[in-house]
Amino acid sequence: MLGNAEKNAILFVIAAVLLFLTGGLLTTLVPPLIDTSWGRPFENDDPAKGPTGKLRPYTEQELAGREIYNREGCWYCHTQQTRTLLADTKRSGWRGVDSPISTPDEFVYDAPHMFGTKRTGPDLSRVGGKYDSQWHLTHFRNPRDLVPGSIMPPFPWIADNPEEFEALVAYLQTLGRAKDWRPDQDYED
Amino acid sequence: MDEKKAVHSGTAVSSTAVPVHTDTTAKWFLLSAVVYFFIVGIVAIILAAKFIWPEMLGTVATLTYGRLRPLHVNGMLFGWLLAADMGLVYYLVPRLCGVKLWSEKLGVATAILWNFIILSAVVVLLGGWNQGLEYAELPLWLDVLVVVAWIMFGWNIFATVAKRKYVQMYVSVWYIMGTILWTAFVYLVGNFAVLFATGVNQANLNWMYVHNAVGLIFTPVGLALAYYFIPKSGNIPLYSHKLSMIGFWSLAFIYVWTGAHHMLHGPISQWLQTIAIFFSVMLLVPVWTVVYNFFATMKGQWELLQTRVELKFLMSGVVFYLLTCFQGPMHSLRSVNALVSKTDWIPGHAHMAVLGAFSFFAIAGTLYTVPRIFKTRLHSASMANWSFWFMMIGGLGFFVTLWLGGLWQGWQWNNPAIPFIDTVVALGPVWTVRFFSGVLIFLGIVLFLYDIVATAIGASGSEPIEDAA
Repeated sequence: MLGNAEKNAILFVIAAVLLFLTGGLLTTLVPPLIDTSWGRPFENDDPAKGPTGKLRPYTEQELAGREIYNREGCWYCHTQQTRTLLADTKRSGWRGVDSPISTPDEFVYDAPHMFGTKRTGPDLSRVGGKYDSQWHLTHFRNPRDLVPGSIMPPFPWIADNPEEFEALVAYLQTLGRAKDWRPDQDYED
Repeated sequence: MDEKKAVHSGTAVSSTAVPVHTDTTAKWFLLSAVVYFFIVGIVAIILAAKFIWPEMLGTVATLTYGRLRPLHVNGMLFGWLLAADMGLVYYLVPRLCGVKLWSEKLGVATAILWNFIILSAVVVLLGGWNQGLEYAELPLWLDVLVVVAWIMFGWNIFATVAKRKYVQMYVSVWYIMGTILWTAFVYLVGNFAVLFATGVNQANLNWMYVHNAVGLIFTPVGLALAYYFIPKSGNIPLYSHKLSMIGFWSLAFIYVWTGAHHMLHGPISQWLQTIAIFFSVMLLVPVWTVVYNFFATMKGQWELLQTRVELKFLMSGVVFYLLTCFQGPMHSLRSVNALVSKTDWIPGHAHMAVLGAFSFFAIAGTLYTVPRIFKTRLHSASMANWSFWFMMIGGLGFFVTLWLGGLWQGWQWNNPAIPFIDTVVALGPVWTVRFFSGVLIFLGIVLFLYDIVATAIGASGSEPIEDAA
């Protein structure tokens, strides 16, 4: 059949589309039907099953902050996934406590997703609650004031705009908080 | 062999009724593509510089890294490479079919629409109007225009194929038709379906698109160019018809399965990761058959590379294609992935594919085609040769440095005793070498631009080069 396809354009089109669509449909439509955890928000109150907690939808302010995160392309340099690698759980950890790995049910309200492909700066999947607003303000004005050697660009137009700055920080403080995984050593403001 | 007939029938047919090609569409696409190559090249240099001088242009919101990067990626992919590929397709499909393009008017309208899309994209991306999905940054209204342009393009090409004079379709025509069909699905999933999903489900659709934007748009159209221009530039017949068939149909089946390999070790189902790994390794089949076919075609004729700069670009492109498609399956393996994923290895890999392989094919095609459609000779073969060496040396500097740097970075990341910021500082020298390699590549682009524009404008009294079908 494929031998004839090079003489008959219609046969060719049918063969090329069918072969391609096998994988095309099986890898896009089917997986979320099989693995329902992709669409079910995280919720656990049994410590025996791992970290407890509950994923809640974003507030309006957090969504506005997410828009800014998206607009400035933060996601090109910061991934948001603690992978199933020991080093990732250590690096996402905090004060001696290792971070749990990221699971699909923690990202149900994320659109667009911010998993990322490149880690030029540190991963942010568990950054929520680690640094307070004052730290973030100084850092957005000039990252090198707090982290010598950093190559993150300064963002004065966010630092100087209280509404945008507060929204962005509100979003950052949500990251990785669905799972209650560490002692109460957080900064909320 | 059949394809010998298809590619080399030009001289035989020309005595009978050879169609007169006006090539207006190809001219529009190729010239604008080359100009975008240059403009977006400037953006690329700025981005590379920001890794060394992060404050540079740092207080201007529109010129910050996060806004320039999508402009660089989209500009190179759609403004330069895809536009050049489309221009070359408008050139070679009518010749491979032995008829005129179905409609030059429709073609020129497509070129105008395409330019409108690219220029709008510049404004939109610098303004930070970013959809937040890699390769799918453009807002919905521009996505719709891209679909319209693609339908106009596909209609023109399929209508030309439908009225072809040669019943047997040459392998380049298969790849072009495949590109048009698959891209339609891949693009719709990556830009429309994706908006109805969230979280991991959305990421899965997004990576399917990202991976296949390279695998099922740039790969097949790039191979279509290589299958046409390698035999043409060397005036040698293709080695094997059977291998080209195996390469094509295995690509059609295998490529689309691999998207989830972008999330290995990440929050996506393990069984889906395993499927993606299996098919990623299977990709060696279409790649190696195609590459073997090209090498075997050149067997005994390698001395042609000394004199024909198009062949230099083409065959180095084939080598880069082989390397990049060996890396791909290898870093789909969980162990290798744990070391290189998310590191600077990845841009090294991506640039070898898009610049080293597919841009080299498109550059070769442009160097071959532009003198013929303007009915003149290339302004300067020596300038083209210099542009090759600038891009080759700059490219190798870029790729190799980032691989080594990426391995080193991954090794440091996997030792949590090393603070993250130390792994950033450690990469400083790597980014410096990358910047200067980028400058070399850019000089190559400048020479290429000058050569092509001078050829088009000059189209002087020089005796035109023979343009066989």
